[in-house]
Amino acid sequence: MIEELRQRLRGLEKPPGLEDGPAALLLGAAAVDRVLGGGLMRSALHEIAAAGEAHVAAATGFVAGVAALSSQGAVWVAEDMAALESGAPYGPGLDGFGVAPERLITVAVAQRRDLMWAMEEALRCRAVACVIGEMRHGALDAVAVRRLSLAAAETGALALILRAAPGDDGSTAATRWIVGAAASDGVEPRMLAQLVRNRRGPRGQWILEWSDSDGRFTCAAHAQPVAQPPRHRPHRQVA
Amino acid sequence: MLSLWLSRLATDRIARSRENSGAPLAVYGKRGNADVLTAVDDAAMRLGLHAGLALTQARAMHPALDVVPEDANADAQLLEHIADWCLRYTPLVACDTPDGLTLDITGCAHLYGGEKALTADLSARLARAGLACSIAVAGSIGAAHAAARYGAAGSHANGEERRLLSPLPLAALRLEAATVASLARVGLKQIGDMIDLPRAPLTARFGGAVLRQLDRALALEDEPLTPRLPVAPYVAEQRFPEPIAREEDVLLTAERLAERLKVALERRGDGARRIELTLFRTDGAVRRIAAGTSRPVRDAAEIRALFTERLAALADALDPGFGFDMARLSVLVAEASAPEQIGIGGGDETKEMNRLVDRLSARLGHQRVRRLIAQDSHLPEIAAASLPAQATGTDDGWASFRAYRNSVELAPRPLRLFARPEPIETVAAVPDGPPLRFRWRRALHEVAFADGPERIEGAWWSEHGGAARDYFRVEDRSGLRFWLFRAGLYRDLAPGGAAPAWFVHGMFA
Repeated sequence: MIEELRQRLRGLEKPPGLEDGPAALLLGAAAVDRVLGGGLMRSALHEIAAAGEAHVAAATGFVAGVAALSSQGAVWVAEDMAALESGAPYGPGLDGFGVAPERLITVAVAQRRDLMWAMEEALRCRAVACVIGEMRHGALDAVAVRRLSLAAAETGALALILRAAPGDDGSTAATRWIVGAAASDGVEPRMLAQLVRNRRGPRGQWILEWSDSDGRFTCAAHAQPVAQPPRHRPHRQVA
Repeated sequence: MLSLWLSRLATDRIARSRENSGAPLAVYGKRGNADVLTAVDDAAMRLGLHAGLALTQARAMHPALDVVPEDANADAQLLEHIADWCLRYTPLVACDTPDGLTLDITGCAHLYGGEKALTADLSARLARAGLACSIAVAGSIGAAHAAARYGAAGSHANGEERRLLSPLPLAALRLEAATVASLARVGLKQIGDMIDLPRAPLTARFGGAVLRQLDRALALEDEPLTPRLPVAPYVAEQRFPEPIAREEDVLLTAERLAERLKVALERRGDGARRIELTLFRTDGAVRRIAAGTSRPVRDAAEIRALFTERLAALADALDPGFGFDMARLSVLVAEASAPEQIGIGGGDETKEMNRLVDRLSARLGHQRVRRLIAQDSHLPEIAAASLPAQATGTDDGWASFRAYRNSVELAPRPLRLFARPEPIETVAAVPDGPPLRFRWRRALHEVAFADGPERIEGAWWSEHGGAARDYFRVEDRSGLRFWLFRAGLYRDLAPGGAAPAWFVHGMFA
């Protein structure tokens, strides 16, 4: 009886988005997964920003890779301006990335408020494993982000926010990335992924390749000596 | 059949819209080349004015007369508005232009306690709205129309048409003025004069229309009523003794009505694809809110959820005014649906997904929620399209797209495609080769690697098919990867013509 209550208490104490184990999504590149503490957390919100206007496609590639790994229904909510400026997600290209277009729903929204609403609504649907919200410039509402994190924690879905440029607002996302294109060797396309915030550990930057045949990310090379040595950071309750 | 004649529609409309000046009011319009009165109100009528009088003559007789130019559109709009409002009595409402309505109240009257009570309710409400009317109920459309307009208003039982119509003038039969005049010339003035005449000579002389109208009025021949709005296959409605105004109450009502519809839907194995909630405001305004679904639905809670989103998405608030005194839920489009087992929590993934699509579509509009489909085309912008998710069927074409891609080893496709290819300025080493550098969105890109060309022919069978394109996958020195094409081939170039233009069509990751 007491043991049972203790177990329940433990479950309640876990801050949303900080569960370990099977709730994490292995990206495939061992170095990255190690820094992330066993992969990208499901049931949490992650923020991926393009390094600049022209790098949106590279950031899209990172997001598409993550969506392909989560392998289930996905919902792509985009602001109208995003599709106009950076192009609309293209079915055959997504299919090449392993995101099955037949299991993707795209939603176009006119305002930021609708974007947040549609994302939350999609996160609460059990058939959806991954919700992508694509926005242009401008700040993110901290309350809305918090709501999304909670919704993701509830159903175990992955919430990804794709921004056209890095934002300077202190977001409560579990991880924040800045992704840009990287010069390739002419064979496999590469992207430079910088992990600029990681609630569970150190930051880092890697040059990643998406491998179509294996359907996972691989580490191409270190752009520079990267990951700071992992240091102990006790989990703390997030405001 | 109930015929409603708004005898003073034009003048009542004007009187409603402004302060009562007390002066007699008349409406005039151009008939032929002259301005004549087209409608007069009661006060003007008492002064001896009537429709058809020349405007100048009327002004000479009564200088104080208040005259307003006619506005047929506004009159028609008011009539349609009243027709909408009459939906509270029956779904079968037809406009009897220019100033009347026909309501099929078969089987509806008892809800109001009989035809007399319904008629009284209708005329009292119209009178409160400042509209003079004359109402008659009879067994046929023709008889009701005639009775309402020629002084026999009231309720007449079926089978009484002959007695009712006999004393009325022939014009009551909805005949052309010329026909009525020529009938009058041979001494036929009242309907009774004509009923027992031999039919063959009448038809020979005046055409078939006369006897057809007579037969229809006498209920010897059926006359179809063409309702203004399509009649919903399933309808449930609720009247409130005390008007409701709160949004929660409206939603609760919608759910209760949906419960009632569910029984009927289940009996015939149908589900709703399009549902409309009609709210009747106490002051006569009618509000219609419709919602669509991606598959047949009959669950009341689901229908309520749809309307919750629709109400939240309304640009202007529900605006209940002094409240709604009646609500109707109609299934506009029904579709056969498999019987559902009750009690098993929906674990089905597609069902969950459809529900999400419905909720998003209800709030944001169905055009904004889309699914990607593959189409059988070699043109990249047509090969993949996105359609409203509620409208797409089960065949999305991706299986055949993959088979095609594998069979021809299609070159990689970009992750993002621009809605319109964006023009760029290029410098190429050789005319047919990839560019060395290009300028896109005011930034210069030096090409590091290029792969191609992949030639995609234009739609040569069509006039607007466009030129053949050579596509290149290009990476610049910073690692950005573009999908470029040259529209047109150098071999097709006319001597002295402009060089083919280059475009960015998409971007790779």
